[in-house]
Amino acid sequence: MNETDLTGPVVFCLALGATLLLAGKVHFSYVYGISVIGCFAMHALLNLMSMSEVSCGCVASVLGYCLLPMVTLSSCAVFFSLKGIIGTILALIIIGWCSLSASKIFISTLAMDGQQLLIAYPCALLYGVFALLTVF
Amino acid sequence: MAAVDGLQFQEFDDAENLLGANRDATTISIGDPNEKPTNQRRSLGNSPREEDDDLLGNADSDKTELLAGQRKSAAFWTFEYYQKFFDVDTYQVLDRIKGSVLPLPSKNFVRLYIRSNPDLYGPFWICATLVFAIAISGNISNFLVHLGQPQYHYMPEFRKVTIAATAIYSYAWLVPLALWGFLMWRNSKVMNIVSYSFLEIVCVYGYSLFIYIPAAILWIIPIEWVRWITILVAMCLSGSVLVITFWPAVRDDHRRIAIATISAVIILHALLAVGCKAYFFDAPQIEVPGVSGSIASGNRTVTAVKTH
Repeated sequence: MNETDLTGPVVFCLALGATLLLAGKVHFSYVYGISVIGCFAMHALLNLMSMSEVSCGCVASVLGYCLLPMVTLSSCAVFFSLKGIIGTILALIIIGWCSLSASKIFISTLAMDGQQLLIAYPCALLYGVFALLTVF
Repeated sequence: MAAVDGLQFQEFDDAENLLGANRDATTISIGDPNEKPTNQRRSLGNSPREEDDDLLGNADSDKTELLAGQRKSAAFWTFEYYQKFFDVDTYQVLDRIKGSVLPLPSKNFVRLYIRSNPDLYGPFWICATLVFAIAISGNISNFLVHLGQPQYHYMPEFRKVTIAATAIYSYAWLVPLALWGFLMWRNSKVMNIVSYSFLEIVCVYGYSLFIYIPAAILWIIPIEWVRWITILVAMCLSGSVLVITFWPAVRDDHRRIAIATISAVIILHALLAVGCKAYFFDAPQIEVPGVSGSIASGNRTVTAVKTH
């Protein structure tokens, strides 16, 4: 995780916007805005909670790569509406998947043991906002 | 010590027995604060006052000893200054949350769980979650109440989020500030043995708000007596944790001031709960039936006028 690669995250954000477009919603600005705000907030939180410093690019890279399951959720939204019980459960599973993988990468990179759930909760809130964008 | 027996496992004796052999040895005991008196009475050089401070959770003596050598003064606008307030594990946070909803008369929340490691993670995220829980549940209950009525067009009210955020964050920060200032003032007048730092009080208040998160979700049910029972149960649980925490700090004061302080704490806590319920969950029920009724009668009179 020494090299911060932003290509993947940008591609995934564009893919999310494209699949939302296929479902009839033009939300590119929301995706961009939420990514930037979420990145800054997670950067602040991680610097507070870990002993070693993180750069903003590293945080953006991890959060962007873990956005991939959200892209699959929004591609599901193209074929059937997610505003039901199945949609809600699927959204919750995807949020859990994204936030657990993001928090796992963060704690292994920054050597913060015993704090995985504490990092996963803010990640879940961030990905929850993306899921709200996808579902509604 | 027993004779060394090759590669056999050696049982180490208890601390008391080892100290019996060498009275001057320093011992480290990892355990409850309750265990400390036995060891400290045996080892030399511990004044009774230090013992009291350790038992009652006064953090100042520890910190002055540790910081005397190296002054780690980071400026308050850097991250390093605030890093020491986020030094918690998942289990510590979960333990503190459990301690805030289960009041046990013998266990002081500050002494048992915080123990001079107050954190800002818990209060901040619990307040944020509570704000969103109240806003979302308020909108959902609004939506459910008016589900069958054709005149009511559902609009999510985002203004409620900002109002909820203001109310809850000011409760979680201003009330501890006032209480801390009041306790400091009384401390200068009456010699109390227990004093809490500002961050410890913020911590207690932050964690005591946790019980309102499931309560806010239960408030979606539109039955009145369910809501009132939920409020009563939540208030009793977290209110008693607050009372148990702050009673040792005021019990040495004059009777009236102690009782006034404790009742102010309880009344503010109750006011937050009832205020949230009344503002976010009750108001539309009273207004809209009257409005929709008058709209319906207005339509009828308009159509009656038109036909003539």
